Amino acid sequence: PGFNLAAGPGQPTEVLCLLNMVTPEELRDDEEYEEIVDDIREECNRHGAVRSVEIPRPLEGVDDVPGVGKVFVEFLSVSDCVKAQQALTGRKFANRIVVTSFYEPERYHRRDF
Amino acid sequence: LGGEKKKKRRSRWGGDEKEKTFIPGMPTVLPANLTKDQEEAYLVQFKIEEITRKLRTGDLGIPPNPEERSPSPEPIYGTDGKRLNTREYRMRRKLEEERHSMITKMISLNADFKPPVDYKPPMTRVSD
Repeated sequence: PGFNLAAGPGQPTEVLCLLNMVTPEELRDDEEYEEIVDDIREECNRHGAVRSVEIPRPLEGVDDVPGVGKVFVEFLSVSDCVKAQQALTGRKFANRIVVTSFYEPERYHRRDF
Repeated sequence: LGGEKKKKRRSRWGGDEKEKTFIPGMPTVLPANLTKDQEEAYLVQFKIEEITRKLRTGDLGIPPNPEERSPSPEPIYGTDGKRLNTREYRMRRKLEEERHSMITKMISLNADFKPPVDYKPPMTRVSD
């Protein structure tokens, strides 16, 4: 697909980006959104200490909110994040296969999704 | 902790920790330095392969527990008296439609993209 997939995850960080997990429709619903956050936080916490979770939501009247469809989880340490990635990648969430990548912490804190 | 406050509902996480689904040629760990376009194209392709796998294996994602399934529409029966709109039929239709929209998107991103061999574009209805 135009890039080297065998290259692996690259340099680990303490922020994990989880992809192919949620849809804009699900995130619009308040109750569903809360449940999704709970499910993800709870499972991530079993593999490493979670510091924060960000799940961008679509906004009424805004076409393209950056990061909608992605889930970001910040761990206390890089090693917690690595453990969580190994445990969660390829698992199913809402019947979708979870895809993961490390994310630059600096971009995460700038909310550059 | 807080277990009393509400009835435990089922998590969206499937299976146990060792249960993983891998699609040949489609790794689930991506490098962090992809451009937005590369990432988008990969996820669209991943979705196509994911749905293709579901359709081929019959692992359609119908919850085994009937209580967790969505309500069924009124049944529609064929001339042979068999129900047409079964849950499996409806699920396959939904997946086919989703795959079709992903394939359409993929072709717009990459004109050389070859759709899965078992893909047939939906018949276009001719209106008069």
